[in-house]
Amino acid sequence: MRLLLVEDNVPLADELIASLTRQSYATDWLADGRDADYQGSSEPYDLIVLDLGLPGKPGLEVLRAWRARGLATPVLILTARDSWAERIEGLKAGADDYLTKPFHPEELLLRIQALLRRAHGVANQPLLQVGGLALDEARQRCNKDGEDIDLTAGEFRLLRYFMLHAGQLLSKTQLAEHLYDGETERDSNVIEVHVNRLRGKLGRELIETRRGQGYRFGGTP
Amino acid sequence: MKSIQRSLSLGLASALLLVGLLLVQSSLWLFEAGLRRNLATDLREETEGLLIAVVQGSEGFKLDSSRLNPRYQRAFSGHYFRIELPERSWRSRSLWDAEPAWPTRNGLASDLVDGPQEQRLLAYRAEYRRDGQRIVISVARDYTPILKSFAQVRLGGLGLIGVALLAFLLLQRYAVKLAMRPLERARQQIAQLQQGQRQQLDIQAPIELQPLVDQINRLLAHTDDTLKRSRHALGNLGHALKTPLAVLGSVTQREELTAHPELQKDLCEQLAQIQQRVSRELGRARLAGEVLPGAYFNCQEELAPLFETLKMIHRRDLNLHWKTHPDCRLPWDREDMLELLGNLLDNACKFARSEVLLSIDQTPDGYLIQVEDDGPGIPADRREAVMERGTRLDERAEGHGLGLGIVRDILTAWNGRLSLEQSDLGGLRACIHLPTQQRGRS
Repeated sequence: MRLLLVEDNVPLADELIASLTRQSYATDWLADGRDADYQGSSEPYDLIVLDLGLPGKPGLEVLRAWRARGLATPVLILTARDSWAERIEGLKAGADDYLTKPFHPEELLLRIQALLRRAHGVANQPLLQVGGLALDEARQRCNKDGEDIDLTAGEFRLLRYFMLHAGQLLSKTQLAEHLYDGETERDSNVIEVHVNRLRGKLGRELIETRRGQGYRFGGTP
Repeated sequence: MKSIQRSLSLGLASALLLVGLLLVQSSLWLFEAGLRRNLATDLREETEGLLIAVVQGSEGFKLDSSRLNPRYQRAFSGHYFRIELPERSWRSRSLWDAEPAWPTRNGLASDLVDGPQEQRLLAYRAEYRRDGQRIVISVARDYTPILKSFAQVRLGGLGLIGVALLAFLLLQRYAVKLAMRPLERARQQIAQLQQGQRQQLDIQAPIELQPLVDQINRLLAHTDDTLKRSRHALGNLGHALKTPLAVLGSVTQREELTAHPELQKDLCEQLAQIQQRVSRELGRARLAGEVLPGAYFNCQEELAPLFETLKMIHRRDLNLHWKTHPDCRLPWDREDMLELLGNLLDNACKFARSEVLLSIDQTPDGYLIQVEDDGPGIPADRREAVMERGTRLDERAEGHGLGLGIVRDILTAWNGRLSLEQSDLGGLRACIHLPTQQRGRS
């Protein structure tokens, strides 16, 4: 899952990036509203965390500009402005959720998790359950047929993306774009390696390879 | 209450009355003076006629009655005379047995003399000398008919004054009303301003009133502007305070600190207190309260987004709906009202099982806002405690429970009242009574 964090406060951004990375989200960080306006709609993000008080361009205007260009990425607003009038304003501009500062870091992670699931039409349960698998996102562990299976960060990252896109054909490029942030060297071999390891841990039939097209997770089409 | 209309009417009426009375009285007086001068000439000629009637006979003077005007012969005809010679005198037959107080000085008597049969007489006395003898001739004529007609004229005059007065007052009333029309419009618009039905005065006022209207509009714009600016500044302040708080909150979750649970707990508690206090005080400072005339809350426009927001926040299968009369406009600041409803509905959504209902009704003295849910509710004997907790909580800067703190602040500013009841839906019903009457009067 690749996230864009738009936050101009450097210490807060550092903290957030650290905690998002711990949850195996690939996170890009921007501090200026104008950059966010451009990059938010040019890169394929799965979710955007947007602060409202931004230099360059106010967060609400950035959000409106994105929505006007037809960007459908879920946006979570992160702001110190907590009055109801401002919340309504934010949601009217096209936000999908609204979290007021200061917040509990756990709260932000839960909201991101819920928002991602909702965006992919998956019910919001404590565990992400698809195709006989249950993924515990907090502990980055997978459960199959009552048996806990430990995952590395890379495997977890890939499995989560597969589970949120169950039944869809995913190309390597798409996977690379959504699993790594803008600064990581993208190597499609890494994905192949992770896919093979997941197959080794969870069974071969789980991830189907379509030659020249990509991968498909889950038995159901 | 002082009315311009009434004081103008009073002034005009008294001035008109005074002038009218003076006019009638003085014109009557002038007319009478002229009339008397004329009558004096007549009476002098009358005496001359009588002098001719006094003829020299064989035994001195005698009165030749054939030369007398017959009206002196008819009893109480209103024309009388008396001729005095040193040794004898004659009086007109018309006097019959009456003896008026004849004047003692020559010329027209200044006062009227009492005559027979209640007549009032105008008397004239002249002295002549004939053949060395002094002849004093006094004549008098009845003045009563003239007095009567004067009285009639005076009465007519008064009647005229009355009619004129009435006509003038009506005209003046009309003129004043015409002149006051802009004032009346301004009064109506100010009332609308108070009810939140308009944001500006927009009358074409006459030049005398235009500065007032301009000034009111300027003040309104200024108040609005100040409120916006202070809200913006508070937003910035909140941002500046809360972002570091968010950083600190995040720092407390670091692994280095997880090793010291005591320290972590203390830090978290203190941070939470700071956070609550800051939120509460900033929230309180944001309230417009009663300062803003022209503020209003349009239910149709505002409730739909509010309910959307609530649905988004509470991702549950809740049936949220509201009930208001169509075209419902509440005369309070939009942001304050959103804050009030938002907090109450948010609470209801937290506790509701499946349904939350907001209803806004007009009462004789204001509005009744009810927020109901079908949650577990609060037993009657504990409601008081919950309300008190709401107040005490914010003093202790905790205010987590029912989020009643900001609701209470808003209600205090609006003279409103909150009560908790049992809802027909099964849960709690929060009733807010908002009076509209106090506005503008206090």
